[in-house]
Amino acid sequence: MLCQNCGKKEATTHIKQIFGGEMSENHLCRDCASHLGYGDMLPGFGLNISQLLSGFAGDFDLPAPARETLRCPKCGASFGEIVSTGNVGCSECYHTFYERLLPIIEQTHGKSRHTPSHSSPVKEKEKTKEEKIAALRLEMSSAVSREDFETAAALRDQIKTLEGGETQ
Amino acid sequence: MTKWYNTVGEAGDIVLSTGIRLVRNIEDFVFPCRLDSEGRQKVSQLVRDIVFDAFPDEFCYIETDTLTYMQRLSMAERNIISPEFAGRDDKNGLILSSDENTGIMLCEQDHIRLQTIMPGLCPEQAYEYAGKIDKAIAEKVKYAYSDSIGYLTQSPSDLGTAMRCSVMLHLPALSDMGRLPRLARSIRSLGFSIRPVYGVHSRTPGDFYSVSNRITLGIDEKTAVNNLKSITSHIAAQEHNAASLLIEDEAWQDRIFRAYGILSTARLLSYEEFMQLISIVRFGSATGVIDVPLEKTNMLIIGGQPATLSVIKGVDDTSTSRNAARAKMVREVIRER
Repeated sequence: MLCQNCGKKEATTHIKQIFGGEMSENHLCRDCASHLGYGDMLPGFGLNISQLLSGFAGDFDLPAPARETLRCPKCGASFGEIVSTGNVGCSECYHTFYERLLPIIEQTHGKSRHTPSHSSPVKEKEKTKEEKIAALRLEMSSAVSREDFETAAALRDQIKTLEGGETQ
Repeated sequence: MTKWYNTVGEAGDIVLSTGIRLVRNIEDFVFPCRLDSEGRQKVSQLVRDIVFDAFPDEFCYIETDTLTYMQRLSMAERNIISPEFAGRDDKNGLILSSDENTGIMLCEQDHIRLQTIMPGLCPEQAYEYAGKIDKAIAEKVKYAYSDSIGYLTQSPSDLGTAMRCSVMLHLPALSDMGRLPRLARSIRSLGFSIRPVYGVHSRTPGDFYSVSNRITLGIDEKTAVNNLKSITSHIAAQEHNAASLLIEDEAWQDRIFRAYGILSTARLLSYEEFMQLISIVRFGSATGVIDVPLEKTNMLIIGGQPATLSVIKGVDDTSTSRNAARAKMVREVIRER
């Protein structure tokens, strides 16, 4: 299929959109997609990543039939299935196929390591009670300094609850 | 709170809205692409119960098979759900706030796709609000997460923070002066992308654009949010400069009043003509050339979308009925004092 924008090159990016009251799919070549702001379109925003995954598998690591015997112990997905659909099956797939997914991750993001935020809920769960209380105190003083007393009071209650749990 | 498109926020002459979208999966379940209907129901029930418990009376739960196709399309036009979610006929869960500004699509591409939209430029506030809901869910379930690659998502492209922050901008002056391609290159080099909100290539009526982060891995949420804010402020400054040059031109002022004239009198308005004209009138309103409140133009942009028009005005989905209903709605809103 040719690109709907330039009509010259093969369309590789497919974008689902609602336009004029209808669901439409737009097909663009790599250059036009990039030019129109869809060069890095991601699933949920449009691009089918299976092409990227397939491209990688073709360049580096086409799953040979023998290797297909490796399946994710949690969901049963093979690397070939992940490549053909563009969908990873479960969290365990990332461990099972980590080495083979890593080049794709690097290609997509330009990086391969997550930068965690200190306020992320997952990190929050791992914090000790003392760390949580210290963070809340800091937030409370900042709320007081901007005269947001409602927030400050709520934070004070949270600190009290945490401290109460400690003494029990 | 008011629906985002019925009001005007900070830097509202250029920034219509700010959106934050967080993607999460629950460790105990396989991702939606391999999840059976029983698993999907369990995930939906679980998340629904947590959100209802943590935020009583703030949200309602909708099963999308109870909606018509047109109602789902309208929700996508109003940015409540994704086009993919709107296109699905099967039973899917949607948790929606009463003001429709925050929604959680359940078992779409991932178990949880939480998005919140606020009027104007307010990435910090939108992130804080989405974060509150995220935190409430995280307290009750274990998210699929890895220290090395962050939140684990069905698509590797969402890994890391699994967060997209975006703004919807109205850039008629930069567009008219042909400055967008150069601007797009600079934005891209900063890890963000800009694209038209309505239409993709040759058909892009109006000058509405969305700017969002391209990368989710290796950059923390606060940095992404701050970067979005600085980039947006920079674009807004450029649009202001370009606009001040354009409105000195009498021909442009004439265009604005002509567009207003057609919108306030026409009996039939096609979607594309309407989008072009409302964009010009909105520009006139933003620059003070014409006395039409920005709120009205924002409301009309969303209300004039075809599926939304059919749903709100109860007209059938033929273009003739819609064009008449659109023209009537625009006349009434724009003339009302």
